[in-house]
Amino acid sequence: MMTRIVGTACLGLLALATGCDGWKTPSGPPASLDAELRQSLGRSGVVPIGPTPLQAPALVDLGQALLFDKILSGNRDIACATCHNPVSHAADGLALSIGTGGTGLGSSRTLGPGRQFIPRNAPTLVNAGLGAFYLFWDGRVSGLGFGAFQTPAGAALPPGLPSLLAAQAMFPVMSREEMRGVPGDRDRFGNPNELAALGDSDFVSVWQAVMRRLLAIPEYVSKFTAAFPGTSTSALGFQHAATAIAAFETQALTRTDSPFDRYLQHDDAALTVEQKRGALLFFGDKARCSSCHGGPLLGGQTFANAGVPQLGPGTGRGAPLDFGRGELFNQDFYKFAFRATPLRNVELTAPYMHDGAFPTLEAVLHHYNDVPRALREYDASQSQLPPALQQMYHGDDATIAAVLTNLDFRLSQPLHLTDGEIGELVAFLKSLTDPSAQDLTSLIPASVPSGLPVQE
Amino acid sequence: MTSRVVSLSVVLLTVAGTAPAQSIPIHTVPLVPADQFDIFPSDALAMGEVSIAVPDTLHDPLVNPAKGARLRVARLFSSPTIYGVSHDAGSGRTLPMGAFTAGAAWYGGLALAVQQVDASQPSSSFFNPPLPFTGGLGSTTPDLGPGPLSHGNTLGFAMIGRKLRESGLSVGAGAIKKKLRAVDGVDLLYPGSRRVDQSGATVAARLGVLKEWAGDRSFEAVVLHDRFKMTHDVTFVDAFWDPGTQQFFQRSRLEHNRDFTKQWGLQVKYERPLTASGWRIGWLATANRTSQPNTPSSDLLNIPQDPGRAAAYELGVGVSRILGPSAFGIDVVYQPIWSTTWAVAETPTATSRGDSIPVGGRTVDNGFHFSNGLFRMGVSREVALGPLTKTAALQLGLVVRAVHYALAQQDHIEVVTRRLVESWVEWTPTWGLSLRFPDLELRYRGRVTHGTDRLVATPDQIIAFADQRPLGFFPPPGASPTLDGVHVVTHQFSVSLPLR
Repeated sequence: MMTRIVGTACLGLLALATGCDGWKTPSGPPASLDAELRQSLGRSGVVPIGPTPLQAPALVDLGQALLFDKILSGNRDIACATCHNPVSHAADGLALSIGTGGTGLGSSRTLGPGRQFIPRNAPTLVNAGLGAFYLFWDGRVSGLGFGAFQTPAGAALPPGLPSLLAAQAMFPVMSREEMRGVPGDRDRFGNPNELAALGDSDFVSVWQAVMRRLLAIPEYVSKFTAAFPGTSTSALGFQHAATAIAAFETQALTRTDSPFDRYLQHDDAALTVEQKRGALLFFGDKARCSSCHGGPLLGGQTFANAGVPQLGPGTGRGAPLDFGRGELFNQDFYKFAFRATPLRNVELTAPYMHDGAFPTLEAVLHHYNDVPRALREYDASQSQLPPALQQMYHGDDATIAAVLTNLDFRLSQPLHLTDGEIGELVAFLKSLTDPSAQDLTSLIPASVPSGLPVQE
Repeated sequence: MTSRVVSLSVVLLTVAGTAPAQSIPIHTVPLVPADQFDIFPSDALAMGEVSIAVPDTLHDPLVNPAKGARLRVARLFSSPTIYGVSHDAGSGRTLPMGAFTAGAAWYGGLALAVQQVDASQPSSSFFNPPLPFTGGLGSTTPDLGPGPLSHGNTLGFAMIGRKLRESGLSVGAGAIKKKLRAVDGVDLLYPGSRRVDQSGATVAARLGVLKEWAGDRSFEAVVLHDRFKMTHDVTFVDAFWDPGTQQFFQRSRLEHNRDFTKQWGLQVKYERPLTASGWRIGWLATANRTSQPNTPSSDLLNIPQDPGRAAAYELGVGVSRILGPSAFGIDVVYQPIWSTTWAVAETPTATSRGDSIPVGGRTVDNGFHFSNGLFRMGVSREVALGPLTKTAALQLGLVVRAVHYALAQQDHIEVVTRRLVESWVEWTPTWGLSLRFPDLELRYRGRVTHGTDRLVATPDQIIAFADQRPLGFFPPPGASPTLDGVHVVTHQFSVSLPLR
């Protein structure tokens, strides 16, 4: 009897043991926004931003003067800060910027007689010093972090530039539309514009000419001497000026204390539920924003043809269209592609996209929700564009077809975002705003060494 | 292999991890608790741990100090124990040594144990990734070498009791104190951490009574109080973007977490012979009240769970039969458990309804209802080795634990209620061999637990290094923790020397 019990028991135990594996029943977990979001952030390579390098005060002081001084422009009528004005969060609030010859500041700035819009929107300088690999909308100034830069100047770029941002600062003075002017221009005092007389590819001569202007002003000489104490005046070049401008931008315009940045520093309460939901969409598979706007800067490292309506005078061989990065040598693949901009403080820098086609974040997201349809239905008259620019919308079928032909594959199908989800995405994008970036007017100097007006 | 994303909290994991008898374990995921503290010798543990109707002279005094009254002779014992989790996911070694004394009225016992627990590092290197983005690390990152691979714990046990012969009553009190630097598996609660330094102590006190009547009937009761207090100093190495060098760097972050649990409990048991043919029957009832003022805070735990409390009950019946050299036993236990955990807002927290939860207000309430079942079964067969005073015994057994729970989670931030039903089965075959000589008892027992998991990390994408960085692509450091099936093997060798 006992033997039977033991035997039966052993058989029963064996049967039980072999049948147990299928009993485990995986099931759907209750969602936790923070756990999900932190996993998504990890997948997108989003990490906190470390401190920017401390800049020498004399260098920052010189850079501030240069950024706000119109003496850098051929006609002495426009400074870097005209289109990157602290009042407009280091941008200009315009869809397409207005360069030399224009009057006014910010969204009230108007074209000068015979002048044309600059083909692209002025991106904000806030957080320009965070170390992006590409600068300008087409990324024509690039550096991979190893001290070598690719720029339109090629070998003419002087050595010794400490950062990509400094390299970038070499080029606005070269642009005729932005700062240099066209042959025959006279400056604000009626004097000939000597910068405009130089050739477009003569980078060195233009930079030297600008430096002659600067070093003719004693206050600049003393500022340069303080900023570069080991460099004689004769050895100063425009690369030193660009270095100072970049130093000021880095020191004064780095704003990375947004709620999202605090969330990255493990403060779960820094974001609201709506913002976290938006972030999950942003970094998740539905909206897929982070496929371009990923990494620590939330963008700035890739290019995409997002099917943005073509506005403005255009540039290069594509004019009146703008081929974007596809305009660069050997970059045909990137036709109509532009840099996916870093998104910190994006709330403050409307209008959006490379040509300012969209006045609000909501409009941008509605566009992304169904790009082919949105492009076909784009109405320039409803986009808060100035009338002159509305006339420069290239909405013909051929242009739209050309843009859609090269549309980024990630945007070829609708995202099917609901209005609620778009609202959550907007809420998340607003969490990228550093409160200290709301008002940058304290950065405006009372005067500049040239004596030219600062805010006009 | 079972693999799935870890999504649940490990409610009261640490209580389960240190569970002595009378403490009802509560798991919300099948995380393997290992057998870190199952270290004292036993007659019956190799028989599937049957205990309700099967006496275990060696082990019973550790469970109920009053049962030390059944010790007939003093004895010395030692029971070196090792356990290992498959996939190199944890292991430990323990060397206990102790003695029981048995006098006419008084009896007592003392035991000490030293324990070495290895870090539960899984074989996957992604759990503690090899620090990507190596450029320039040396100049800014402090020395953050991984923690020691092993940590030592010490355990002390003391027990004293008195037999009141006239009444058949015995009373006893005992306590185990553990000074801990490593609780198995805790390091896995912090995926991505560079090192986890644990320190703390646990005290488990027992006050028991045993009443024995003629006819081999007995009633026993034990009151228990456990306190578990650990701190986890967790060092993470976070990547950050250095704007100056356009590279990723790393810096350390220290998290200080507390794990504090208190438990009260009562267990009563009644045993009696069923018939004159060797059958016995026993009934068991246990109640635990557990509170967790603090539990570890981990990104892994999707359900906020700090603090919480649980009421756990146990009703069991066991039968056994001893017939000559053979023994057979079965226990069937039902464990209904109600557990609630919650999280509180540390700052005013906006809800999706538009209002705000003030500081200290609850952001999440989790209500768990468990209906767990436990089935234990074992057989033993003795064989005489020559003279009757020398015997060998072979033991086999199986423990099956079925866990089933329903969770209702009220999220006061998102203003939603979520429900989840989860169940799984763990089964543990046991085996043992003992040799008894007049002056020496040698035992070996082994067990292997299946149906449990241990955390591993699955990389989300390929980790690229700085010097291999493709243009416009940032290497993500993320890795999703998942549960992968493992089994735990325990071997114990014990020697017992009766002191006549």
